[in-house]
Amino acid sequence: MTEHETLNELMEKADVRQYDCYQCGKCSGGCPMSDAMDFGPRGLMRCAQVGSLGRILNSDTIWLCTGCHACVERCPHDVNVPALIEEARYEAMRRGIKRHDSDVLNKTFVSSVRTFGRNHEMLLAGLYNVFAMKPIQDMASVPHMMKKKLINPLLKPIHGTSEVAELIERAERWDK
Amino acid sequence: MKRYAYFPGCASESTAKSTTLANEFVFGALGIDLIEIEDWNCCGATSAHTLSDTVGLALPARPLAQAEEEWPDLDIVTGCASCYARLKVTNHRVRTDKEARFIVEKVLGKPYEAKREVLNFLDILSGEDERKAVENALLRRFKNLKVACYYGCLNVRPAELTGVEDRENPQAMDELAALTGAEPVDWGFKSECCGAAHQNDAAFETRPLAARIIENARACGADIILTACPMCQLNLEMRQSEYIRKREDKLRGKPSFPLFSMVLPPDPNETIPVLSITELLAIAMGAGGRRLELDAHFVPVGNVISKAFRDENESEVFI
Ligand code: SF4
Ligand code: SF4
Repeated sequence: MTEHETLNELMEKADVRQYDCYQCGKCSGGCPMSDAMDFGPRGLMRCAQVGSLGRILNSDTIWLCTGCHACVERCPHDVNVPALIEEARYEAMRRGIKRHDSDVLNKTFVSSVRTFGRNHEMLLAGLYNVFAMKPIQDMASVPHMMKKKLINPLLKPIHGTSEVAELIERAERWDK
Repeated sequence: MKRYAYFPGCASESTAKSTTLANEFVFGALGIDLIEIEDWNCCGATSAHTLSDTVGLALPARPLAQAEEEWPDLDIVTGCASCYARLKVTNHRVRTDKEARFIVEKVLGKPYEAKREVLNFLDILSGEDERKAVENALLRRFKNLKVACYYGCLNVRPAELTGVEDRENPQAMDELAALTGAEPVDWGFKSECCGAAHQNDAAFETRPLAARIIENARACGADIILTACPMCQLNLEMRQSEYIRKREDKLRGKPSFPLFSMVLPPDPNETIPVLSITELLAIAMGAGGRRLELDAHFVPVGNVISKAFRDENESEVFI
C-alpha cells in the first residue's frame, strides 16, 4: 500500500475528510496542548491535506493530545481530529514509531491492570518513574499520601484478575 | 428508592478517599441506592485505548456486561470523568456500530447489548426530583462562598454523547452549588482540559494546563474550585504548590528547585482549595470535616469552609 492509500485508509476509519477542514485554526486556538506540540490540530489537518503521513506519524502531536475534544466541538466543520490522532497512533505503533515516555506509561498501565485487575495512580506513577528513569517525579507528594492513607501499599487483586488478563489477551490477539 | 449500578473507578480506592466518603454520604442522604458492580475492573482510561482499540473497548465492556446481566433495568453511574468517557464511548459504540458489538461480544464471550445508559453524578443530581431532594436534605447553608465550578473536559465532551446542552458554559454543577448558598462565579475554564491524562508521561508539558485553570479561578474571585472528577481533583491539587513556588522563584530571579519547592507546604495566600461537588453537598447536608476526612486534601480546605457558614455556630460544629 502506498503512503497515500494508508493515509486515506486512516482518514476513512476516523471518518475525517481532508477537505472538510478549511484551515481556520479555531481548533489550534483552543487546543490546550498546542503550545507543546510540534504542530497543533490545524497543522495536523494540513499535513493530512498535503499527504504528509510521515510527518504526522513522527510528530509528538499524536502522543501529546489529551483527547479533550475541544477541537472537534469548536470546529465549524466538525472535523474529528482526535479520532484521526487515535488512528495515527495505531499506525505509528504498527510501524514501531513511539514516544518513549508514552510507551512506558501505557505498557506499565496495562500490565498493572493485567496483574491486579485494577490500577492505582500512585503505584502506576511509581512504576512509571522506575521504568522511565525519572525517580523524583511527583515523589514529593508521597509522604502526604502515605500519611493520609491515600495510597495503600498492599494491593489486593480483584477476584477476576485472571479473567481480566485473559480478556486483554483475547483483545490483543484480535488486533493482530 | 432510585437505584443505579455503580462503577466506582480505581481512584475511589486511593486518592479520591474524601470524595468517595462524600459520595456515600450524599447518596445515602438522598435515598439513592448505588449498587456496586461486583468485582469490577479498571476501565483502562486512558492508556488501554491508546494502545489498542479492542482492549479499550473490552475492559469497560466487562463491568458493563456484568451490570447488564445482573440488573438489566438499572442505569450505570460513575463518579470519575475518565471512567465515564470510556464506559460511555463503549456503550455508544456497541449500540451504534455492529462491527464493534460483534468484536466486543466475541472477545468478552458473552452477550452485551448496551441497553441502559451510562451516567455521571451530575446527570443524576440535576434531575428535578433529585434537586428537590438535595434541597430538602440541606441542614446548613453557606454565605459569601464563591465557587468556580470546574467540569473538566470529559464530563462535557463530546457533547453528542454526554448530552450537555451549553457546552462552553455548562450549568449542572453551578445550579447544584447554588442550592447550598454558595455563589458560582463566571469564569473561562469550566471545561478546559487539566491535562490529567498525561500527568506522568508528559509532566512538563501538561503543567501549564492546570496552572491556567487555577490562575483563572483565582482571578475571577473564587474561594474554592469545585470538581466532578477525582483525576481533575488530584491534578489540580498536587500541581498547586509546585507551580506557584516555581513562579515565585522565577519572579525573584532565583533558580528553581522543584523537589525542594514541592516539599514546602503550599502558601494559603497563593493557593485555592479544591473540593468535589459531592463534598460541598455533604458538608451542607451536615457531614463534619472529620467524617469526610477533609484533611486528606493537599491544599487545606477547613478554614475556607468553616468561615463560610451562614450560621456562625456551625463553624464550631464543623471539623
Ligand atoms: S477548526 Fe476545523 S476547519 Fe478549522 S482548522 Fe481546525 S479542523 Fe480545520
Ligand atoms: S483533542 Fe487533542 S488535538 Fe483536540 S484540542 Fe484536545 S488536545 Fe488538542
